[in-house]
Amino acid sequence: MNKSRWTRLLMAGMVAVLSVGLLAACGSDKETLHIYSWADNFDPEVLKDFEEKFDVKVTYDNYANNEDLLAKIKAGGSGYDLIQPSDYMVKTMIESELLEPLEMNNIPNFVNITDTFKDPSYDPGNKYSIVYTSGVTGIAYNKKYVKDEIKSWGDLWNPEYKGKVLLLDDNREMIGMALKKQGKSNSSKDEAEIIAASDELKTLLPNVLAFDTDNIKQKMIQEEGWIATVWSGDAAFIAAENPDVAYVVPEEGATIFSDNYAIPKGAKNKELAEKFINFMLEPEVSAKNYEFIGYSNPNTKAMEFHSEEYRANTMINLTEEELRRTEWLDNVGDSLSIYDRLWTELKSGR
Amino acid sequence: MKKKNHPLLGIHSFLMMAFIYVPIIMIIIYSFNDTRLSGNWEGFTLDWYVSLFENRHVMEALMNSLTVAVISTVVSTLLGTAAALSLRNMGRKGRSGMNGLLYLPVIIPDIIMGLSLLVLFSQLNMPLGKTTVIIAHITFSLSYVYVVVTARLSGMGKQLDEAAQDLGATPWQTFRHVTLPQIAPGIISGALIAFTLSLDDFMVSFFVAGPSSTTLPIYIYAQVKRGISPEINALCTLLILVSITLILLAQYILNRGNGQKKHKTLPI
Amino acid sequence: MRKSRFLLTPVLLWLSLFLIVPMLIVVGISFLSRDSLGNIVFSFSLEGYKTFFDPLYLGIYWDTLVLSLLTTVICLLVSYPLAYYIANASPRIQTWGLILITVPFWINFLIRTYAWVLLLRTQGVVNSLLLWVGWIDEPIQMLYTYGAVLLGMVYNFIPFMVLPIYVALEQMDKRLLDAASDLGASRWKAFRHITLPQSKSGIMTGAVLVYVSTSGMFVVTDILGGAKSSMISNIIQSQFLGARNWPFGAALSVIFVATSLVLILLFNRAMQARHQRVGEGR
Repeated sequence: MNKSRWTRLLMAGMVAVLSVGLLAACGSDKETLHIYSWADNFDPEVLKDFEEKFDVKVTYDNYANNEDLLAKIKAGGSGYDLIQPSDYMVKTMIESELLEPLEMNNIPNFVNITDTFKDPSYDPGNKYSIVYTSGVTGIAYNKKYVKDEIKSWGDLWNPEYKGKVLLLDDNREMIGMALKKQGKSNSSKDEAEIIAASDELKTLLPNVLAFDTDNIKQKMIQEEGWIATVWSGDAAFIAAENPDVAYVVPEEGATIFSDNYAIPKGAKNKELAEKFINFMLEPEVSAKNYEFIGYSNPNTKAMEFHSEEYRANTMINLTEEELRRTEWLDNVGDSLSIYDRLWTELKSGR
Repeated sequence: MKKKNHPLLGIHSFLMMAFIYVPIIMIIIYSFNDTRLSGNWEGFTLDWYVSLFENRHVMEALMNSLTVAVISTVVSTLLGTAAALSLRNMGRKGRSGMNGLLYLPVIIPDIIMGLSLLVLFSQLNMPLGKTTVIIAHITFSLSYVYVVVTARLSGMGKQLDEAAQDLGATPWQTFRHVTLPQIAPGIISGALIAFTLSLDDFMVSFFVAGPSSTTLPIYIYAQVKRGISPEINALCTLLILVSITLILLAQYILNRGNGQKKHKTLPI
Repeated sequence: MRKSRFLLTPVLLWLSLFLIVPMLIVVGISFLSRDSLGNIVFSFSLEGYKTFFDPLYLGIYWDTLVLSLLTTVICLLVSYPLAYYIANASPRIQTWGLILITVPFWINFLIRTYAWVLLLRTQGVVNSLLLWVGWIDEPIQMLYTYGAVLLGMVYNFIPFMVLPIYVALEQMDKRLLDAASDLGASRWKAFRHITLPQSKSGIMTGAVLVYVSTSGMFVVTDILGGAKSSMISNIIQSQFLGARNWPFGAALSVIFVATSLVLILLFNRAMQARHQRVGEGR
């Protein structure tokens, strides 16, 4: 092969590559709100409305789970102004002193939040967080294949569903589910109780097709699995694509969760972040936003602006009775390593 | 004289190419599929291509990814090649020590690299952003370049270099006209690997990224929770098409330049 | 040589700051303890290293080694002929071959892997095809099996094997082959005694890159394996994130990096020794 061709290709490549590299963008002088949240968690138009109304800039970066978020915030200096941790993560972050207290005078629209989600157990008095959305881990099943009426966690153990059950890939959620089935708290710190729950989960293994948290939706839509543990918001997604899928909050009770607004310690634009939270709680803005993302809206004043379709959706809007059967996941302290080890053991089949 | 390839080899290579491209063809087909989450074919649409260009997050992420990949590839190719060249002239002991050091970034699990760099940057008070992502990418890719270029050098004698110097070439001339053309395939392969790694890295980037430096993999990983949008399939399809077109173009230009001095000897 | 010092300095500086210092931090963490919130406590402890010798984690480590070795061997077997073909083709095909092999991997890893899900699932392309041809009567469960994981691993690391082997083969002195055939050596003999030893450096590099990348991978087991088995990186990941046990995660990483280094060195030495024997025999 002609060697000079290689040299030439190499040089041409380097020049091309360098010139593209120089096209890096420049910044702007406007006040900027740095949001760090789940992907596609806001209606982009609502973000744009906020930028125009207050003449500011919004940047929006993403994380994929609470643990990633924690590791990142813990190291410090991340540069974000607003984050959206889930309930138990709010508590962990408060205990690790990673959050700024909210100045409620800047967020008068807080009154619009339903009483159910004010003063939650993970952040008494809403000192550090305000709920953004919530849901319950229940059972979704495809009526085409599952003919019996599903009402209990025990139904997952039905031998007819061999190799067709999907479970969340999460130690706390799943061992918590088994604890609930046995009538215990989903956040038990009693080693004997946790082991008993994990032993019962082991007997479910022959039925399990896969463990998955994020793609359970696709697996249910595409009918690879017949029955699965899913979050209510995801169930709404699934049912929209595959109308055969139904959802139920089992009678033994279930785990409730929420995502929240919070401000990390040392945020440079704390006031702007509070302005943003307040803006998002305006009834009309709020309705527009939740119509787009399709999650449950804790804003009572926003309901009248929502579509008929949204209001009628029983997977987005759970009943008072269903919510009463639920329990938050609480931090379990040192017991977490027991959960972790048992879960690793369970999944690797040892 | 060149030995001709055995026909069985040809068949094998064709099958391998098919294997490599089957999933890619799936991605291309699904970028025209008229449904968001279902895996079934629901009809032809171009909607995803339209909404792709309106999606400011995807576009930003793409720009970030390309910027990072391009800069880190150039720098790591230079550093990695320099390391390979200088270690070639080193004694055995020093070499194996340096070898171990240069293999480290290849071996270290991504999450360790990401987290430990994050801790370092925050200790140094360096604001997280594109710069930190680029630094991290250079750190892991330079090893890959080093490894591949070294593989090339180890199969190469020093006779040519020495001959050139005996004939009065300066060290630079020797490098430019003798060594460089010989190791160019290694450098190009190393750069290709570095570019590929950088475009694809999630874990390390995630930890060292800051405001408005979300790269494409970070965006895609975060999207998994809601279901990855077919816009991403459309984007991947375009990426493939654009890359291949650009390369075709480069080939064409190079061939034209080469045509004029086709029959000249090696440029020594 | 003065020149080589001058070239080496930037790399050394770079690696000391961005590699050695962070690694020292990790080694440091592996000897510390943590509180119930997962914060690091500055008191010496060997707990992390002790936990590793739990049969559960040893077993997972063993599985990881086996899967990585298997992937490396398969990758080598399928990639070598391809690299050989490209290296011996015309210059035009060489360039195109390299590019066509790399470009698909510029597509995001997750997207590529999900494409395999579409192909392998029960209502997927492969099953539909087999049903249509009539080779099977009902869909085979291909996803969420060991085979699917292996396939995903091999697929993702093909370029890591092809490129280094190509680089080695391309510079081979082909006159040696002509000489061999003039002397009446069969094609196989010529390959065995000339081509193979000369491409040794490429095989070695490719094998190391694939082995190391596979053993550090975990998303493939989650997506194609249904998360039903764990790899050592899953455990490291979950210790740093979910379980918030940084010291154990750091200890695992130190053990992982050390074993990989030792394996690579042993492999290096074995290849060298073999090469010498072959050289003497010739």
